[in-house]
Amino acid sequence: MIDHSLVISPVAALVFHLKQGFFLYGLPVIFGFLTIFGYQSAGRISMMPSTKWPVVFALASAASMITLFGWMIMVRRMQMVPFYGCGVGLAYAMMSRVYAVTMPLHPRLKIRYVRVTWRGDKEGIERLRQALRARV
Amino acid sequence: MKIALFLAGALALMAQGPVPRPAPELKIVEASGKVTTLSSFRGRVVLLAFISTECPHCQRASGVFEQLSHELSGLQVAEVAFNENADVAAFAKKFGLSFPVGVSTSDLAHDFLGIGRGMRLGTPQVVAIDRSGVIRAQSERPGTPLLQTHDFLHNLLKALEAR
Repeated sequence: MIDHSLVISPVAALVFHLKQGFFLYGLPVIFGFLTIFGYQSAGRISMMPSTKWPVVFALASAASMITLFGWMIMVRRMQMVPFYGCGVGLAYAMMSRVYAVTMPLHPRLKIRYVRVTWRGDKEGIERLRQALRARV
Repeated sequence: MKIALFLAGALALMAQGPVPRPAPELKIVEASGKVTTLSSFRGRVVLLAFISTECPHCQRASGVFEQLSHELSGLQVAEVAFNENADVAAFAKKFGLSFPVGVSTSDLAHDFLGIGRGMRLGTPQVVAIDRSGVIRAQSERPGTPLLQTHDFLHNLLKALEAR
């Protein structure tokens, strides 16, 4: 409760509320998203035949560390729960649109990079199928 | 009728003192036995906090109050711990506090804040008092984090100093 007759610059209060909003509502969404994104990415990459075990180990460790760190922050306040759920839901919804994650060799740079083929990308899916058929 | 009376009673219990209002008298009893009265700070802007020495928010806020006491020359900071067996001397030493830190009882803290005795208080309870001894800002009963931030308090206390 502050006496409204006082003339105080609103900037400090605005910065405080923005920071508080980010930590209370933004951060749980980010951690919820990263949890699902991390585990699903680690799962999908570990299923790829060319992936080496140290990569799988590093990815799975990083995903679980992010998750645990997020949960440690999350358990402090009840109002963070729905926002965490929104982040999880967002990541699931996004990952459900992924058809495949591949690591093709870049033709010029000669390095492997991550390529995401989305479900709606018919050309990409067809290209992937042709590449699989050619390999068989 | 009974429900209305019950609701009115519950609301009265949850209510807290209005702002602005004249600050009641308060004795700040330090660990050394030195007694300072709030009225002796009349003429200066006072930042008073009711704390629990074990509360991490109070410990962090005390650092902010100490910093403010050096930045604003016309400011008098004081803290009153109302948790049981509060070792205010150790608290002040550990966090390097140069302002008076006293002890009080929970009931006295509730009375000063205009909150029904026995109601749970979020700590720190911060009170800003102007030069004439009028409370111009006070934490909400569950605590107001905005009144623990350096930048906002600095602006608020400067506005009080300018009055």
